[in-house]
Amino acid sequence: MNYIYDNTYEGFLTCAYHHWYTEKAEGIFPDELYQLDLCRYAMSVETDAAKAERVLDAVNARISTWDAERIYKVFCSNEPEKEMKMLRYIALGFRHGPKIRLMHGDPVVKAAEAAEQRVGREVHRLCGLVRFSEARDGISGNTLLYAKVELDNDVLEFIAPHFSDRYKSEPFVIHDVSRGKGLFAYGGEWEVMPLEAALPIEASEDEHGYRLLWKGYFDAMGIRERANPKTQRGFMPARYWKHLPEVSGL
Amino acid sequence: MESGTFEKLTVLGESAKYDVSCSSSGHARVNVGRIGSAACAGICHTWTSDGRCLSLLKVLLSNDCVYDCKYCVNRRTADGARRTFEPKELAELTIEFYRRNYIEGLFLSSAVLVSPDHTAERMYECLWLLREVHGFAGYIHAKIVPGVSPELLTQIGLVADRLSVNIEMPTSQSLSLLAPQKKPEAIFAPMTQITRTQMEQRTLKAAGNMQRLRPAGYEGIDMGGTGLYVGEGAGGEAGALTSTPRKTGGHIVSESRRKTWNEKFAPAGQTTQMLIGASPESDRQILHMSEALYRRFTMKRVYFSAYIPVVDAPELPSLLSPPPLRREHRLYQADWLLRFYGFSADEILTETEPNLDYDLDPKVIWALRHIDAFPIEVNTASEAELLRIPGIGNVSARRILRQRRVQKVRYEDLKKMGVVMKRARYFLTCGGRYHGGKEQEAEKLRTVFMLESRAAEDAAALMNPGTLNAADIRRALGGGEKPQISLFEASL
Ligand code: SF4
Repeated sequence: MNYIYDNTYEGFLTCAYHHWYTEKAEGIFPDELYQLDLCRYAMSVETDAAKAERVLDAVNARISTWDAERIYKVFCSNEPEKEMKMLRYIALGFRHGPKIRLMHGDPVVKAAEAAEQRVGREVHRLCGLVRFSEARDGISGNTLLYAKVELDNDVLEFIAPHFSDRYKSEPFVIHDVSRGKGLFAYGGEWEVMPLEAALPIEASEDEHGYRLLWKGYFDAMGIRERANPKTQRGFMPARYWKHLPEVSGL
Repeated sequence: MESGTFEKLTVLGESAKYDVSCSSSGHARVNVGRIGSAACAGICHTWTSDGRCLSLLKVLLSNDCVYDCKYCVNRRTADGARRTFEPKELAELTIEFYRRNYIEGLFLSSAVLVSPDHTAERMYECLWLLREVHGFAGYIHAKIVPGVSPELLTQIGLVADRLSVNIEMPTSQSLSLLAPQKKPEAIFAPMTQITRTQMEQRTLKAAGNMQRLRPAGYEGIDMGGTGLYVGEGAGGEAGALTSTPRKTGGHIVSESRRKTWNEKFAPAGQTTQMLIGASPESDRQILHMSEALYRRFTMKRVYFSAYIPVVDAPELPSLLSPPPLRREHRLYQADWLLRFYGFSADEILTETEPNLDYDLDPKVIWALRHIDAFPIEVNTASEAELLRIPGIGNVSARRILRQRRVQKVRYEDLKKMGVVMKRARYFLTCGGRYHGGKEQEAEKLRTVFMLESRAAEDAAALMNPGTLNAADIRRALGGGEKPQISLFEASL
């Protein structure tokens, strides 16, 4: 049976529930990816909090909370066909218990590790590479910090603790434009919410000036004769550049 | 925003560019050697066009110097553009960069503007504004000008995370020759004050470290026979070098990033920097000096900085001589042995061999010199003995000890434990068997290692074209023309 779900974590867990209690899953697809003509072979699963929780409880009890977290990270990754990979990981975990995390040679475990690692790497990288602009709220005129990002993995909530600790006294928004989601934070509290449209804000008067200063400093720090774009891009992949004032055309 | 800020920022940023002691994550080093690679765990905010990680705004408060250090392009008698930040201007710049997540913190140093105290006052004003008015909680490393008054140092220490005072030269003779206005006492006094304040702070807070304290009275100790004289006993931590190796450097954020900044004096400790190759000292003198600095001042790090000839003066190496980058690299390796392997400077270099061999790792050299002590049986050796074996590090030594408690270590296990076998196998036995073949004479082994090290270097050069060499730096400085950048730390 192919399952289609609503692209939420609970939705996936509900599919997992059906895998064990209704019919074995052959494929699990988020609704936005599923092609319509295949629909007749697939069942659209209605997300059910109670069913999802049963699966999650089982994962926590029979494998470990550590593995539950890992599975969630895989869910947030951009791993292709991650749903079936997660399901296989859970199934394997039910068989072996918490020692599954030591089974580095198993392809199921390997795939999960790789996805988890990619998520971790993006989180770490973003802590340095998110660039805020000072913006003015078009309605109230208050300032806030606003950053536009295009994330590979869905990691807004993983970078939230770092940034909300860093900017305790100022409201800020990190906008993942590729997913239409925003991280809204103020005073140490934060929340991830859908954010499809552009916010009604505009850059403050000083914003452009500070970008120029930063770019000037950045250029001065580079050693021209030793230009090494390969290393630079290795650390700072080109797809991030659009939102970095020091390398984009401002 | 002031209109001249852009120019100040680029001029004063360039001046600080080659400073090596950006110790918060070892990233700003010109010569990307092997040391410090593990330390680059901090948050990098961007990578320069030559592939180096930037995480701190590293800048001079001023390059308008009244001193006349021979090796420095900011010296009074040199010409070149002079710029000075207003404290308020730099504080605003820093907080605005920090808010935008361009940087993780500030590395502030300065030339001597008017006088040491005048400079320190302005530095303090800038840092105070940053902490108090702007509520900045990021990392601050402040470089202290020698000769600063104790009161100002106390104040700066309370707003900075890390302090450093450059030792500059390995001996007082060289110091008076090349940096005549910098007196040894003016350098050691702030170092002593930092060490002492930190110890007092620790005694107040921590239990059980009483026995580590030494009387802090006048001792008048000659710094390890190097000719630099400490006027006052610093009351160092006994055995800071040889007993428990302590982790230093590393993650900026984890370095007790303060939320309430005014409760601690320089919580991330102090470092210092020594210029290599501008003066005629031997490596032995240099290592003795740095050993003494670790012992007496509980330094987190002593940085070496290869002198890049930018100034034509009879006291200095000619403009054509290459900066001693390889020497700097070997000194860092020797420094590593001091800090983490229980070696003393006297063991690494002897009176008859006062200089490091720049072709080989100092640990290998030591082993070859003491070839009679080898091979060592890994199943019975103590931790200290294991650490003497080339190719065995702290981690692998600990792993060996751990496994020994359960079962014998087999030869095949060593590699898995992280031992570098191509080096170690000549120096150990495992279960009584020696695997090093016939090359047991020091001379033959030397040849083996030379070939290996050359091959490794060639490979590294291919892998890492971003490593700077002397020619690059000179070219970066604008050929033979008027240099614009202070290479040795434009400041102090
Ligand atoms: S090293 Fe420092 S004190 Fe000496 S001339 Fe240069 S800036 Fe001035």
